[in-house]
Amino acid sequence: MRKWTLIAVCAILLTVMAAFVVDAGINKLQPQKPHILFVPKTTGSQVEFWEVMRQGVNTAAEEFDVEVQVAGTLTESDIDGQIALLEQAIKDKPQVIILAATDYNRIVPVAKRIVAAGINLITVDSGLKDGISSSFIATDNYAAGQKAGQLLIDSIDQSELGPVAILNFVRGSATAMERERGVRESLAGYSDIQVLDTLYSDASEEQAYELTVELLRKEPTLRGIAALNEPSAVGAARAIKEKQAVSRVKLIGFDSSMEEIAYLEEDVLHATIVQKPFNMGYLAVKAAMDLSADKKVEPMIDTGSEVITKQNMYDSDKQKLLFPFVEK
Amino acid sequence: MKGRGLFQFKSIHTNIAIAFSCLIICTTVILSVNTYLLSSDAVKNNSYDYTAQLIEQVNTNIQTYIGNMESIAELALRDEELQQLMRMPDPHDPKGLALVQQTSTFFRSIVESRNDIASIVFIGTNGALVSDRGDARLKGYNELLNQDWYKSAKEAGSQSVISSSRVQHIYKNEYRWVVSISRQAQTAADGSTGVLLVDLNYNVINDLCKQIHMGNRGYVFLLDPRGDLIFHPQQQLIYSGLKSEELDQIFLPVGDRSFEAKSDGTNKIYTIRSSKYGWKVIGVNYPEELVGDKRQIQFSAMLWGSVCLIIALTFSILLSLTLTKPIKKLDVHMKKVEKGDFNTRVEIESTNEIGKLARTFNLMTGKIKDLMSQVVQEQEDKRISELKALQAQIHPHFLYNTLDSIIWMAEMGKMDDVIKMTSALSKLLRFTISKGEELIPIRAELAHIEQYLTIQNIRYRNKFTYSFDVDPAIMECKILKIVLQPLVENAIYHGIKNKADSGHILIRGGRVNDGIELQVIDDGVGTDAAKLNASLAKGRPLAYTSTSATSGLGLQNVNHRIQLNFGDRFGLSFDSELDEGTTVTLRMPELMEDKGE
Repeated sequence: MRKWTLIAVCAILLTVMAAFVVDAGINKLQPQKPHILFVPKTTGSQVEFWEVMRQGVNTAAEEFDVEVQVAGTLTESDIDGQIALLEQAIKDKPQVIILAATDYNRIVPVAKRIVAAGINLITVDSGLKDGISSSFIATDNYAAGQKAGQLLIDSIDQSELGPVAILNFVRGSATAMERERGVRESLAGYSDIQVLDTLYSDASEEQAYELTVELLRKEPTLRGIAALNEPSAVGAARAIKEKQAVSRVKLIGFDSSMEEIAYLEEDVLHATIVQKPFNMGYLAVKAAMDLSADKKVEPMIDTGSEVITKQNMYDSDKQKLLFPFVEK
Repeated sequence: MKGRGLFQFKSIHTNIAIAFSCLIICTTVILSVNTYLLSSDAVKNNSYDYTAQLIEQVNTNIQTYIGNMESIAELALRDEELQQLMRMPDPHDPKGLALVQQTSTFFRSIVESRNDIASIVFIGTNGALVSDRGDARLKGYNELLNQDWYKSAKEAGSQSVISSSRVQHIYKNEYRWVVSISRQAQTAADGSTGVLLVDLNYNVINDLCKQIHMGNRGYVFLLDPRGDLIFHPQQQLIYSGLKSEELDQIFLPVGDRSFEAKSDGTNKIYTIRSSKYGWKVIGVNYPEELVGDKRQIQFSAMLWGSVCLIIALTFSILLSLTLTKPIKKLDVHMKKVEKGDFNTRVEIESTNEIGKLARTFNLMTGKIKDLMSQVVQEQEDKRISELKALQAQIHPHFLYNTLDSIIWMAEMGKMDDVIKMTSALSKLLRFTISKGEELIPIRAELAHIEQYLTIQNIRYRNKFTYSFDVDPAIMECKILKIVLQPLVENAIYHGIKNKADSGHILIRGGRVNDGIELQVIDDGVGTDAAKLNASLAKGRPLAYTSTSATSGLGLQNVNHRIQLNFGDRFGLSFDSELDEGTTVTLRMPELMEDKGE
């Protein structure tokens, strides 16, 4: 009996020790949170759009209590840099990569390798060809384009006749194409409005300015321009203001910047369509959390867009979009 | 099996183990659940208090900032130069410009001394425009008059108007997030007045609220009296409708309180404090977070609960084993006793009740054993005494016949024979009657037989002869007294007597393998030996073919006595053939001197 008592005491001690180990182990295991990597197009802090998206990412990270690592190239045009960065990320094996692809086509091979490595891929703002990612979180650019087209129709003086122009920024970009398609779609219903051939600014303000000056010269009856991104809108606005065509030509822009706001206040820019980068960042992290918890995620999440005019720009819900509060 | 109680299982061991287990499980579960509830309650209450304190702190800070702004506004409005400027009919004349310069310097000194103030601007109804940075970058006078802060200050009279968080757009190309306080100056006698604007850097409020950490996910937000968000970490999500707060409940006119509500699918605890400027400071906590990691606590509680359970169960099983093991041991021994083994002793050392029970049991079996052996002894004694009585008997018939023969011989004058017979009878009687040793040397027994044969031989007028052939080596061996006489008697009455001519009786003795053997051999009529042997084995009186039952009984007694004294291996056996004679063999252990029992 004494031997048995000894064995029992030993067994109990072992059990208690094991329980301690398990308890401590569980405590350590519990905060096992997914490792999320966010790769924006640029990490340069001067680009407000990405700053705000990062705020959204950080807010979500705080809310879901996860660590989100941010890695990116300094400029949006460094496609090779982003590919190299993603190759490195595959080795680190995060659970989720939130990617804003710098190129619609060239990132595809590395993206395929990411998916093959068992990493969940979420694209944000700019997607990839063939929809490789589990979820694409971006503005519905087609819908945004439609809004722009509608705004153009509403703002132009119906009593005057004349064509409208579309000032696009880059040929072949998915965002650009979708926006243009939206604009053309909404204008299609108005047979009296002639839509001129699309002009491409190559996302250069200077080129947009020159193209607009040229356009104003060639088309004296021009009634409106839809400039599909920020530099195009600013360039066009500058040209319109300089050529004193403000009252004649209604300009609809995209995105926001200090210049655009100034032109908006001066009535040179009739309206601008802003995206919601904060929501993109937030929803991307949320989708990442869902993916790592094996929940279903919508393949396409539209973060929506807002129309900003001079009248509503200081409304409490709009000013947050137009003037993102960036902490110093 | 009906009417069984709760704990009526087959063994005490199971009963105890189950009873203990039930008890332990109940206790552990109650304790674990209680601990969990109490600790989660305590944590929750602590968190409530802590949150309330934090919110109070934020509220105090905000009130301080706004209070400061108000006093700055007050101070600025009372400035002598500003008053002069306000009352000037044309503030753009040189004197006015000088005043603007002076006031601007005064404003700048205030703004520079405080990093929470973004800017101070004054607009007079007479067209005066003063800013802490000089008026160069300000928007046009008329545009400013249309801005909300100006209009609302005018409407509010001399009351301060505090705006929500907003983008200040009084400067060209400058858009700063501020909280503005605007206040109309006291109207001078000539009706001139103006509005002073003090902007509080929104950073201050942002930092203040962001600094507050309530758990990992808790946050603070601010609402102005109209319900607009002044600060919310997820303001954009709320405007987009992706998130919501329970604003309806927050604005219930019940003052400061805490309540739990479900919004966006999660439970939140709202803690509300109202500041005196109409703002509400609201802290949001997640109850699941307050209780630490609920699942972790649950897991810990369950883990430790089960560990305690395992320990307790082990102990209970061990305990019940310790308790029941001696009982089982006792049971095994009792079964042995039941089967008649009284030599068993239970070895239980313990001093508890079962130990006592075991000792009592041992005493009891001991006593039973004593009693049993006593009974056996008594039975045996009784038997032996009976046998003794039998062996001591000299058949009266024999005595009578012998005496008759003596008389008859005396009448015939055969004096020698009379003497011989009388002497033999006398020796016979003395031997028979004499008490003393049960065991006697074979020599003495043979001497006795010789006396007996002498008498019988005279009685039956030399109808038989007899001879001895006994190994002299066994002469001194011990033998039970008067065992041969019944055999010889048997040989005479059933062998020789019925024979037509004279017979012979041989008494032979010698050593065999495991003892000594004595044989009485006659050449009489013989009998059925198998039947005799069978009767002997069954312990029945020997059914002899002829008359005397007593001699049959005598043989049976002899057999009995031998077996009683020396065991079943020994005793009598018969060997007979009709008209050839009978041999009765007596087997006994070889006993020398006093080695016997």
